[in-house]
Amino acid sequence: MVLKLDLGGSVHHVTILARRPHLVLSVDGRRHVVQDLDEASDGRRQLTLDGKLIAFARAGSADGAIVRLDGRSFALHRRDAAEASAAGGGANVVRAPMPGTVVMVHKRVGDKVQRGETVVTIESMKLQMKLDAPRDGEIAEIAAHEGEGFDKDAVLARLAAPAEG
Amino acid sequence: MSRLQSSINTASADFRLNEAHNRRLVAEFRAKQEAARHSRPQRDLDRLARQQKMPQRKRIEMLLDPGTPFLELSSLAANMAYGGESPSASSIVGIGMVSGREVMIRADDPTVKGGAWYPLTVKKIVRALDIAMENRLPVVHLCDSAGGFLQLQSELFPDRYMGGRIFRNQSLLSKMGVKQLALVFGHCTAGGAYIPGLSDYSVIVRGTGAVFLGGPPLVKAATGEDVTVEELGGAEMHTSVSGTCDYPADSEEHAIEIGRDIVSQWDRLPRWEAQREAPEEPFYDPAEIYGIVPDDIKKAFDMREIIARIVDGSRFHEYKPNYGTTLVCGFANIWGFKVGILANNGVLFNDSSIKGAHFIELCNQNNTPLVFLQNITGYMVGREYERRGITKDGAKMIMAQSCSRVPKFTVMCNGSFGAGNYGMCGRAFDGRFLFSWPNHQIGVMGGDQAANTLAEVKANQMKRNGGTVDQSAIDQLWEETRKAYQEQLSAYHSTSELWDDGIIDPLDTRNALGVAISASLNAPLGPPGYGVFRF
Amino acid sequence: MMTAPDDNPPFRKVLIANRGEIACRVIRTLREMGIASVAIHHPVEARARHVREADQAIEIWGETPVAAHLDIAQIVEAARGIGADAIHPGYGFLSENARFARAVAEAGITFIGPDADTIALMGDKIWARQFAADHGVPVAPSVMPTEDLAEFTRQATQIGFPLLIKAAAGGGGKGMSIVRSAEELEGAARHAASEAQRYFGDGRVYAELFVERPRHIEVQVFGDGKGGAIHLFERECSVQRRFQKIIEEAPAANLPAALRDEICASAVRLAAAANYRNAGTVEYILGADGRFFFLEMNTRLQVEHPVTEMITGLDLVRLQIEIAAGRDLPFAQDEITANGHAIECRICAEDPEREFLPETGTVLHLDAPQAAYLRFENALDRGQRVTADFDPMLAKLVAHGSDRAGATRRAIAALHDLALLGVKTNIDYLARVLGHPAFAAGELHTGFVTQHKAELAAAEPDEETRDKILIAAALGLRDFRDLALGVPEPHASIGHWRN
Repeated sequence: MVLKLDLGGSVHHVTILARRPHLVLSVDGRRHVVQDLDEASDGRRQLTLDGKLIAFARAGSADGAIVRLDGRSFALHRRDAAEASAAGGGANVVRAPMPGTVVMVHKRVGDKVQRGETVVTIESMKLQMKLDAPRDGEIAEIAAHEGEGFDKDAVLARLAAPAEG
Repeated sequence: MSRLQSSINTASADFRLNEAHNRRLVAEFRAKQEAARHSRPQRDLDRLARQQKMPQRKRIEMLLDPGTPFLELSSLAANMAYGGESPSASSIVGIGMVSGREVMIRADDPTVKGGAWYPLTVKKIVRALDIAMENRLPVVHLCDSAGGFLQLQSELFPDRYMGGRIFRNQSLLSKMGVKQLALVFGHCTAGGAYIPGLSDYSVIVRGTGAVFLGGPPLVKAATGEDVTVEELGGAEMHTSVSGTCDYPADSEEHAIEIGRDIVSQWDRLPRWEAQREAPEEPFYDPAEIYGIVPDDIKKAFDMREIIARIVDGSRFHEYKPNYGTTLVCGFANIWGFKVGILANNGVLFNDSSIKGAHFIELCNQNNTPLVFLQNITGYMVGREYERRGITKDGAKMIMAQSCSRVPKFTVMCNGSFGAGNYGMCGRAFDGRFLFSWPNHQIGVMGGDQAANTLAEVKANQMKRNGGTVDQSAIDQLWEETRKAYQEQLSAYHSTSELWDDGIIDPLDTRNALGVAISASLNAPLGPPGYGVFRF
Repeated sequence: MMTAPDDNPPFRKVLIANRGEIACRVIRTLREMGIASVAIHHPVEARARHVREADQAIEIWGETPVAAHLDIAQIVEAARGIGADAIHPGYGFLSENARFARAVAEAGITFIGPDADTIALMGDKIWARQFAADHGVPVAPSVMPTEDLAEFTRQATQIGFPLLIKAAAGGGGKGMSIVRSAEELEGAARHAASEAQRYFGDGRVYAELFVERPRHIEVQVFGDGKGGAIHLFERECSVQRRFQKIIEEAPAANLPAALRDEICASAVRLAAAANYRNAGTVEYILGADGRFFFLEMNTRLQVEHPVTEMITGLDLVRLQIEIAAGRDLPFAQDEITANGHAIECRICAEDPEREFLPETGTVLHLDAPQAAYLRFENALDRGQRVTADFDPMLAKLVAHGSDRAGATRRAIAALHDLALLGVKTNIDYLARVLGHPAFAAGELHTGFVTQHKAELAAAEPDEETRDKILIAAALGLRDFRDLALGVPEPHASIGHWRN
């Protein structure tokens, strides 16, 4: 079992290598020793990582966590296999950056698209925005319907998984 | 508990000789294991890749909690059967941790004849489910099998412990409240279809997973109907129409993720809380076991030296140290679990048998699991011992051992000959687990003894018939008998026939026992009591 | 600022026609003064902080929450019904609505702010500008508002370039553009006119000389309504994004004393001329050449008033209330002194990496640093939904220091320690702005954010930091944490082992 976390658009793998005498985690193959996990419930936390104390704040989100460390906040999203399998790692979905409504759907299922081609135009906060294909491929699913609303992070379109070659 | 004092000289010639010998045996074992696990015809591997299917072992690794042990059982089952066509008896069985729960994992091997079940495959599956029942371990089936290997149907279908037993065990497990989950990665054809059918939960992978009693060719032959795999038993159909499977998965990884999620929903049945302490590594280096076990099965060695390299802190509380000294009895901890150990330091005499019976009773009274470390040539024979009642004293030990309510574990550390196998919890005595070391040999008697016995009989026969003894014929008979025996006596033959739960590297004994003991605690203790001891 | 309740409070009960942090801010002063407070709220904000903190609360209804807060009749009726003798409008919403001020007054309730006529005067950009010019306050050369685009073009060309064109009735940047040559002029004018028509229903356009790299300087004034006026020094609000302030400070950076005096004096002159009553802010743009021009006068309490409070030690809301009650200005100009430097950061739910577009979410975790030199003005609650219903400003963090560098350091440290998780905010971005060398050097202008866009972008975390983040996140996921810590013995000790 490997945990897949998306940080800033790239997916990272976290897993457990050992628990005794200390918790040892692997992040993308790099070993880290975790000690003194602080259980504070107020959101302020600390732990010792590779012998160094780090303090951070954390909140769980719907599909991941938000971490504040060194004066910066980072949103992490869990990538589950359902999405990964259909989308080949999460880079294959057109995702709503904010809640809004669909103004126009430019592509249909089966259409070939190139990276950067507009798939859907949305309106959010009185602002129209074009959402583009994240890579070359074929549209496998359009979940957006003109005039309909959606929530932030909603998947509006999907590309077919890359063909094996 | 005091620490055992080792008297092993690791610089001695004997030690180095033994070490070289045992390391060679282990290397040989590892090579066989490696071949059984990974050596497959390229076209089978190519087909798997084409279907975008992961190898079973990779699926198992994904299923397991990271950084936790997986105790594989019977990795060399069927290694001496079917001309080696069914490595590991075409299946992987083992105990591991999934979503924080100890489970039995049982996986078909689609790289061997489409995952078809050989007779020993069936035996291995039945054994896996027996273990699940005895230890109340939930089962995760990783299904990918074409069904029974039809050419050998008579050896896998009709009898009590054959194919039907799998499904009988599945049903009873469910009744006992021990959950089963089937992850259908490939085809589950014919009998194989009942595995998901009788599992409490089932997940099926879109595209590659299929469940049906008869595949498209069989349907075509039987009824003339043309039907695709997907229509006949695909994920969409079974999860939306027939209800044979519960969850469709988009990929194998997705199926495993759903599976882990399902397991995480399961209640934890109450465990039997055995006496335990914080685990402690053995004081003496377990690798020294290689230099302790002699290079010849006939050479004796002190089993305390082995105990010192298996138990926590090498600490051992020896019971009755000065009485019946050929059977070493005492308390120790393995990975924290309190156990009572019985280990052979020679042939079983009257006093050692009675001591063993008494110690087994103490462990039952004290709710302490039993660990048998076998190196036994049998109970002592001869007029003197028969007069003292060696048979009835041995019977006491067998009675006490058979009726034990605490879990029992056996490790075949060296020889296991004659009735000593019985007293020391051989396969027939329903120990929870039985492991063998590569040097292990088992039989009614040793190869030399059998050859001697048969040569003696033959010589007498010749004398009766013609008066002269053809010594070369006798020698040939001796050699042939010994060779045939030697082959059957070997650990590889035992494990091929599933007389054990697998050969293990002696250095893995501590971990294997740790996982096994932990697993055994899932089942409650049996009722106390014994039959009639003969006094 | 803590003082004992007044022996003789000027009002018994004040309704706050606002919400959020400013409502809470006003309630705080009311409590100190021993005056009962009344909150108003739409049903969706029934459990909001300002409702809980007020002594009384009244529900108001509207199609949208904003509509409810703009419903003059309903709010005045609520105030009358509950027996409020004054209304504090806060900022935004109805705070600069002359009709509201009039309706309040007509209901026999005191409006805490200027009278309706003053609001109306200053609310019209053209009138206000003319009034300022008439009273010796410098205004930028401009074209009078007109719908006649030919006339507009002729006049505009006379002033020269660059020119700023905008809707006469507008604000917030709608229809605003900068024209640098005669060729662009006509098209820009037409565009501005259509935008003006569309957004404000008034097609008149206006143009004035555009000051390159302008600084935004404003002066806090108080008038007694009888021609008496004082100033509480200036504030600098040059750091803006999307034409809205994000960092404000007092005093302005590197402002020559003579120029400061000149600007402040002109603001007082304007307030006095208008017989201005209560708090107001005169906004200017200041060019690099030291020329400054009147921008507008805001007839209300500003969002950024705390920086003035921190350097003067005065409670501006208290002053507003006292003056509204008819009391005289409590001190003369020379009795007011400034001490140190204060910086305010507006914490907004927005994504600086994506053009500062508003973000929504839920406040999952809030942990603000506390210190005597800090103010964290907010009305946030854990679990609170941040929707697009209201302004994206969530809170204000204000830091005081003995000098500008000290205040900056404290503000950066406070932003560093401020954990507001669950909705994307500009907290980290603000820290980067404050830490930018050009900010430290006081090289400010309203295009600061655009000019330094590249340096202000968030750097990708390095590998070490990334791993820390990933581990911190992973151990927060329940199942992963269980997996890491919940595995029983002996499996935990045996670890990854294969036989």
